[in-house]
Amino acid sequence: MKRGTISRWVIGIVLLAMTGLFLGGCATMGEKPKPALVRTDRGTVVYEEKYEFKGPIGWRLLRAESGADFEFGFFKFEKGNFPSQTTFIYDPEPFGGSRDLETRAKRYCTRFLWNSGIIPEVTKQDEVQLWGQPAIAIHLLGENPNRNEKSKSVVYLVKKGNRIISFVVTQWRPMKGTFDQEPFEQFETFVKSFKFLKKTFYEEMEEKIRELKAEGK
Amino acid sequence: MDGHQRNLYLYEALNARVLGVSMDDVTTNKYFAQSLWLEFPILSNTLPWMGKDYGAYSDKPPFLVDGSPQWFGRRTVVIDKKGIVRYIRNGPPNFEDILTFLLKLEEEFKGE
Repeated sequence: MKRGTISRWVIGIVLLAMTGLFLGGCATMGEKPKPALVRTDRGTVVYEEKYEFKGPIGWRLLRAESGADFEFGFFKFEKGNFPSQTTFIYDPEPFGGSRDLETRAKRYCTRFLWNSGIIPEVTKQDEVQLWGQPAIAIHLLGENPNRNEKSKSVVYLVKKGNRIISFVVTQWRPMKGTFDQEPFEQFETFVKSFKFLKKTFYEEMEEKIRELKAEGK
Repeated sequence: MDGHQRNLYLYEALNARVLGVSMDDVTTNKYFAQSLWLEFPILSNTLPWMGKDYGAYSDKPPFLVDGSPQWFGRRTVVIDKKGIVRYIRNGPPNFEDILTFLLKLEEEFKGE
């Protein structure tokens, strides 16, 4: 081997070793990403330091990419043929623009499960309170015989300040399958234990606007 | 669009007004607005000079799956009180980003 070739090899090996050192440094110096869910000693979990609730055990966490129809939720596959599964979500921006609960509920139902080919029927709708806030609980049933599937859902639309947020559970079953009540009970526990640990973006925005208006007076 | 509708009260508080622009004809836009219960105007710009003027027009790749050009994409534009374009973002609107920017503009124009 010629001397020039040897020195190029040596330089190459040194560079590779240095790259390895740098990369190794990055791996050890970089912070470990925080887990999305953190258990508390109160028997609850905290999601991204924003919400605290009693989470369902053994369910998978669903996290939304930007632009999705919800912020996060849980789902699990259940015994039985496809599509035996239950999903529940927290969505801070449910469909519709009205800030009136009843109007929003009416409009929301026109789009519910929009992409599934199911037009669910509202079987029950109640005015309720969640954490002292006015809310509407909507119970829906739907079916699509062509796809051999049916759905059972409960939606909570809750007034939070000037806006309306939502919690939704949907259970899917084949047409001849039977619905299981337990996941709905877990959903109820999730919703009723839900706490906001931080102000939302919109609450902070409203506060900043109020401050700005007060300064201008 | 329903996101803009939800934020109308904030836009109003920030002295901003929202307009939608579409290449669809007036009748189509009317039904579209009704289907979403929109309370702000949707402009019909079938000869798409607005899309061209505001840069939402593209005859370049990426093309649609059938090979045709993706002429118009979604674009959010904020124009300030002096008529100057101050904000441009492609894709679906990022409402938090838009409101934060509008707040900044309102601070800038405070007292004017």
